[in-house]
Amino acid sequence: MSITIPALLGEKVRLRPVAEADVPRLVRWFNTPDIRHWLHASERPDATLETVTDRFLRNWDNTAGVLWIIETLEGTPIGNLRLLDMDPHHRRCELAISIGEVAYLGRGYGTDAIQQSLRFAFNELGLRRVDLFTDADNERGIRCYEKCGFVREGLLRERRLRYGKPIDMLVMGVLVEDWQARTRD
Amino acid sequence: MISESILEGDKVRLRPVEEGDLPQFVHWLADKEVTRWLANIGQPPTLEDEYEWWHDKRSDPDSVLWAIETDDGRLMGTTELRLTIRAERAELGIGIHDKTQWGKGLGTEVVRLVVDYAFEELNLNRVELTTDEENARAIRCYEKAGFVREGLLRQHRLVDGRFGNTLVMGVLRDEWQPLERRLDD
Repeated sequence: MSITIPALLGEKVRLRPVAEADVPRLVRWFNTPDIRHWLHASERPDATLETVTDRFLRNWDNTAGVLWIIETLEGTPIGNLRLLDMDPHHRRCELAISIGEVAYLGRGYGTDAIQQSLRFAFNELGLRRVDLFTDADNERGIRCYEKCGFVREGLLRERRLRYGKPIDMLVMGVLVEDWQARTRD
Repeated sequence: MISESILEGDKVRLRPVEEGDLPQFVHWLADKEVTRWLANIGQPPTLEDEYEWWHDKRSDPDSVLWAIETDDGRLMGTTELRLTIRAERAELGIGIHDKTQWGKGLGTEVVRLVVDYAFEELNLNRVELTTDEENARAIRCYEKAGFVREGLLRQHRLVDGRFGNTLVMGVLRDEWQPLERRLDD
């Protein structure tokens, strides 16, 4: 069953489905060194119009994943957020987010985007758990994930390469009850 | 892909999975006691499901699959490495589906053969796996082979109507003791 991707409105951002016109922007984001540094796929060759179109438009499996572009309320696209590996049996998925516009990092846009996507995952998709993998030295990211309710669950040693060298990754998870407790406050 | 490499141990032998193996898998996987520990099986697979699985694996460049048999050639299960080449890592999956072969230490030997192959032939840096936190027999086997507990994913799998935890384990090339060295001990 494919998932209909709605636009979600937060306090600082709007999440909307990706469009073909976003492809050049995504390519630029993925190839910006300060952004790429944190991407799980940082060791891939440079992104191109072709590889991004293939991965995010042509071959996107919308039965297993949701892809949004994150925009400011003024309509400036600043990043993307994905729910991946949707598993209706175990009622979980994985979340991946990347702010692509360096000027918008560290200003709460990512936090707001994650909160909107979690609300959708728990309330609309009926999931119970969302997983997340991040570089263990991504302090800014981890702070933001913890603010959204994610809990550190493990340290995966040398799980990926960055500039050819192995680095550790953190696995985090948020349960629907963690999230409900937080939103009730 | 279906591995062309035959890996010989003392008590087990790993060889390519053949179409003729599939009916036996269907028979075993109809048993709830066998599928209890397998995360990705909802309904017992039909022969068509198994054929599709085998067909997909054959053309999947990120998978290396073997059939497991006893030293006298009796089929008992499958094992697989799911590769993420750009990160020099693989996820190990192992299923001894013939429960008359459980508890004989055969799994430990399978793990050693496959992890040796991952480090020595595929030149990977890390092998990881996930297992049900309650699967004490499997965890003992992985620890004996050298895997370390790295994380616990809360309420990560639905088994018999209850959400249980998933253990993540990993082993690195640096800390791995190859088979020959162990035999010299």
